[in-house]
Amino acid sequence: MQRSQEAQVKLLVDVRLDGANQLSQFPSSPTLPAPATPPPLNAGPPLLQVRNLRTWFPIKRGVFQRTVGQIKAVDGVSFDVQAGRTLGLVGESGCGKTTVGRTILRLIPATTGSVTFKGDDFFAHRGEDLRHLRRQMQIIFQDPVSSLNPRMTVGNIVGEPLTVHNIAWGSDRVDRVAALLQRVGLDPSYASRYPHEFSGGQRQRIGIARALALSPDFIVCDEPVSALDVSIQSQILNLLDDLQRERKIAFLFIAHNLAVVEHFSDEVAVMYLGRIVEKASRTELYANPKHPYTVALLSAVPEPDPRPKKTRIVLSGEVPSPSKPPTGCPFHPRCPLTREAAKQANAADTVEITTAGERVRVLRKCVEEVPPLEQKQGEPGHVAACWVTR
Amino acid sequence: MAKPLLELRDLNVAFNTERGQIRPVRDVSYSIYPGQTLAVVGESGCGKSVTALSILRLIPSPPGKVLSGEVQFEGRDLLDLSEREMRGVRGRDIAMIFQEPMTSLNPVYTIGDQIAEAVMLHQKVKQKQAYEIAEQAMRDVGISDPGRRLFEYPHQMSGGMRQRVMIAMALSCKPKLLIADEPTTALDVTIQAQILELLRKIQRDTGMAMLLITHDLGVVAENADVVAVMYASRVVEYAPVEELFDAPLHPYTQGLLKSVPRLGAHSERLVSIPGTVPNPARFPGGCKFHPRCPRTREAAAVAGAETVEVVTAEERFRVLETCAVKEPLLREVSKGHWAACHLAEGFESSPTTRPDLANKRAVVARAVGSMIT
Repeated sequence: MQRSQEAQVKLLVDVRLDGANQLSQFPSSPTLPAPATPPPLNAGPPLLQVRNLRTWFPIKRGVFQRTVGQIKAVDGVSFDVQAGRTLGLVGESGCGKTTVGRTILRLIPATTGSVTFKGDDFFAHRGEDLRHLRRQMQIIFQDPVSSLNPRMTVGNIVGEPLTVHNIAWGSDRVDRVAALLQRVGLDPSYASRYPHEFSGGQRQRIGIARALALSPDFIVCDEPVSALDVSIQSQILNLLDDLQRERKIAFLFIAHNLAVVEHFSDEVAVMYLGRIVEKASRTELYANPKHPYTVALLSAVPEPDPRPKKTRIVLSGEVPSPSKPPTGCPFHPRCPLTREAAKQANAADTVEITTAGERVRVLRKCVEEVPPLEQKQGEPGHVAACWVTR
Repeated sequence: MAKPLLELRDLNVAFNTERGQIRPVRDVSYSIYPGQTLAVVGESGCGKSVTALSILRLIPSPPGKVLSGEVQFEGRDLLDLSEREMRGVRGRDIAMIFQEPMTSLNPVYTIGDQIAEAVMLHQKVKQKQAYEIAEQAMRDVGISDPGRRLFEYPHQMSGGMRQRVMIAMALSCKPKLLIADEPTTALDVTIQAQILELLRKIQRDTGMAMLLITHDLGVVAENADVVAVMYASRVVEYAPVEELFDAPLHPYTQGLLKSVPRLGAHSERLVSIPGTVPNPARFPGGCKFHPRCPRTREAAAVAGAETVEVVTAEERFRVLETCAVKEPLLREVSKGHWAACHLAEGFESSPTTRPDLANKRAVVARAVGSMIT
């Protein structure tokens, strides 16, 4: 027993030494870790690679602020974003989709995991290097009111990134700001006005102009239209669409509205409790959803049609707290599929659980083991994390 | 012919502000029949919520004031009642639920206290009995373990649960009319589905009427019998739900229906309504929709038309002079279908009646299915 333990420790040390040796031999080697997920649908190196991203927030209690647990807001998320394309990230509130966007941009520190931008480990950069990379990555926020400084003129809001990154000054900056405002559909003379003088849609245009100022290759759009009126949403979506075509910008499009995500994305990932539970190309995901959560989510969207075609699956219960996620598959307490499957399975393979006040029988495997995100029947690259679905 | 439960007649509401008077509700008329759901749909600032608040006389006054109009409820004009009589109507005959359940619940009282308070106020019962009614009301809205939950505080519950509590509170006195102001806007889609299903079930069981205020056309399509579309403090279109979605007459309604991204109908480009939602403090003249209206621009392009130029923040273009000068009032353009647009076919010769429809939807709401393996 003791021997084997020693051997194990030795093995670990050896590995670590090996690793260190390799690093010192190739100090500037850009070699990347092997991708943990299957290669993306489109060939060619992705613009952005996210691997096993985890963002945990400690729960602190008591006088000494002892850490008593972790909220696993993002718990092992991996995906790629291709240059000039859009990955839609969809899920309900608290699923961690916003945290993913912010962690990628290092607005929130990651717990573990890596983000590779243009083949470069983004998390490894500091200081001037980091600033340089950040020019290429921008964000558009949900709330167009709180994301614009009320004491700055529109010209200063849009022009500030140009000054911070030492790109344009004086009349050159004025010209660039005017061109940006024009591009997002605002009159250039508005540069001297303040945010409160604008409507929600116009403020969101200002936010977009600011994100465009540095000609980024990648923009995180965090619920860019959900705070806007219905008739304004389509204007902003069309604008983002045009900008993507014109400037080959890649988007990580975070939203809870499935119809908006369908309209806007090339590829879609569905998140539940900090994990991606399904990912596929847009057409495949909406036509052929595999994960029971995706199916239920799609069926829950009210259709603007008084004669609905689809039946609805009403899920029982609510999204559990990420501080106490269920064991095994995080969706099992609400999952209608595991209940169906348990009816046909051997009694030994099922267990009874209490959820939302009712006692139901589910598959033992769903309660005990976390399902991996694996290829399902259908298009290559269509992955889902579910023990039951094929 | 059944009589309407609630009938609004030419309601006008004004707010006095530092920058002068604004008019969030102008000549609004609609009616709701027992068991019926009337959906009022519109964007922010269109006056849909202010109208509902003025039914219950909950407009802060000053600065708000009902200028004219009637709110007929079971043969009485609610605007004529004394404050004391009105308290008997609120909560008992007409209940209301709001968008944000957290701000509508008192954080320092337990859920049970709050529901029981409403019950004791309106029904002459003792505290113990009120708690029993509260527990039953919570069970009715699908709250598990209501006996324990009675003693919880609002912060211990999720958004969906709090909305259920609000509904339980509203329904505890068995109201004849429920005013639901954006009841699911703050909730996730799977929870929204649960709450809307619950409201439909309660309606089926009790025959309660509902005034559903929302901006979500999907929610309208699935729940309404009759729809009133509001724009810039007026009702601009009024029709049975199927008719409204099949053959909208007002260019605003048409634009709204086309601009919503739909599941499974992927298109390269969304149709959008240009311009911005008007601010009630700065309404344009004439038809309030003319600066955004595609129909009047098209009509203005026809040779010989009398036109005027419009300059907005984004563009300049010409519209018909009528649209820019004269505000169209709601007319019954075809049988049981009202619209307020100069350019709707046969508009000028149609009668200016008050909209009133007793319709129930012919199609049922979406079936609830199970998942097939």
